[in-house]
Amino acid sequence: MKWLELVLVAGATLVSAVTVVVLYALGVRLTAIAGDFRSSQPGWIRPLSYVCFGLCGLAVLFGLYLIIPYFSK
Amino acid sequence: MVALVIALALFFDFTNGFHDTANAMATPIATGAIKPKTAVALAAVLNLVGAFLSTEVAKTVSGGIIREGSDGVQITPDIIFAGLMGAILWNMITWLKGLPSSSSHALFGGLIGAAIAGIGLHSVNFASVLQKVLLPAVFAPVIAAAVAYVCTRLAYALTARHDPETGSKLTQKRGGFRTGQIFTSSLVALAHGTNDAQKTMGIITLVLISAGSQAPGSGPQLWVIAACALAIAIGTYSGGWRIIRTMGSGLTDVKPAQGFAAETSTAAAILASSHLGFALSTTHVASGSVIGSGMGRRGTTVRWGTAGKIVVGWLFTLPAAGIVGALTAMLVHTGTVGFVIAAVAGTAAVVYMFVASRKSHVGHHNAVEVEEAGQAIRFAKKKAAAVSRNNNSKGGR
Repeated sequence: MKWLELVLVAGATLVSAVTVVVLYALGVRLTAIAGDFRSSQPGWIRPLSYVCFGLCGLAVLFGLYLIIPYFSK
Repeated sequence: MVALVIALALFFDFTNGFHDTANAMATPIATGAIKPKTAVALAAVLNLVGAFLSTEVAKTVSGGIIREGSDGVQITPDIIFAGLMGAILWNMITWLKGLPSSSSHALFGGLIGAAIAGIGLHSVNFASVLQKVLLPAVFAPVIAAAVAYVCTRLAYALTARHDPETGSKLTQKRGGFRTGQIFTSSLVALAHGTNDAQKTMGIITLVLISAGSQAPGSGPQLWVIAACALAIAIGTYSGGWRIIRTMGSGLTDVKPAQGFAAETSTAAAILASSHLGFALSTTHVASGSVIGSGMGRRGTTVRWGTAGKIVVGWLFTLPAAGIVGALTAMLVHTGTVGFVIAAVAGTAAVVYMFVASRKSHVGHHNAVEVEEAGQAIRFAKKKAAAVSRNNNSKGGR
């Protein structure tokens, strides 16, 4: 029985999905703060949100890089 | 015979495509992230790309389930023909009912049924069936639902905003998730291409090998890859609006943040599983994700009635496709006449179901089926968009 593979798939799924969702959600949150009417917050909030979105994109691309056999040869 | 089986395999690929458009595109269409027509076009292109990306799955498809090779039995094009017949018919029936059922299960069921009827019980490796088909079918929705649940919770927790002084709720401003959905659903479509187009490639390669026109143990040829990619892309573009309706609004009402979480989980699960060699069904994963994300958001109800109907459909997929496959195999076994009868009956059934699908729509409006379904979804979307706009203008500032 391939229990190890099963655990591996479940774990990989959880880790990758949570990474992407957390980064993107942080980005959304920071964008929301940056867009608030009372702009009493420091100016680095909006750039930071872009950093979050960027990291999220990178995480996805890294995942694809791992999977596509063309790159791993 | 070989040419006919290849044509049938490509047709199966086509039904697979329009059956599974819903997996990738139901949630973004439901939340209004992408227009329905754009969504299916995008899914089609990404399926095409995905099919070329990796052929890992194609190499392992059906390997081990039916004992082949020197110590086992010789699998013939007849058996594959019968198996495909079962798979296609079951795909058409579930599409008519709007049930998201697994195309891979239909394929395996058809092949197993055909092998039992055509060769005998000993031809099927039941331990392998249990391990490769039945157990993943149980775990895929569970894993996907659990991950989607966690992701939905996280997405909502991270973006929940309260006024620090009064503690009252601020505008949540989760619109960003709608944009994100475009990317995550694209990822699901891509994953579908890498996963499901492979199955047909595997089948065609199997036929070519069994007919002696390709060396055993070699991978799919380029024209096979191209034909399969094209067939699944065209199928996806034709859009299974009936199943999109079930997945997009039948299970639970999907909000952008939920859709984002569900799609991320689906894509992660499919890509991880097909890469790590524990193949999961795209449909099982996607349905599980939608249900999981429904449970993850407070105030959302999951329509367990619909979910139950889908699960019953899953239970029937393997045996039903198997029975059709077995009947076809028996007919083909009797000789050329039986083969012709099987082919004609199969074609007639497909045509009948297609006509039936048209009829049920002409009853409501006299519009073309795709147009009408597309508009039904678009109306809902506009309403949803208007509501959220109202909320924004009320709560904002």
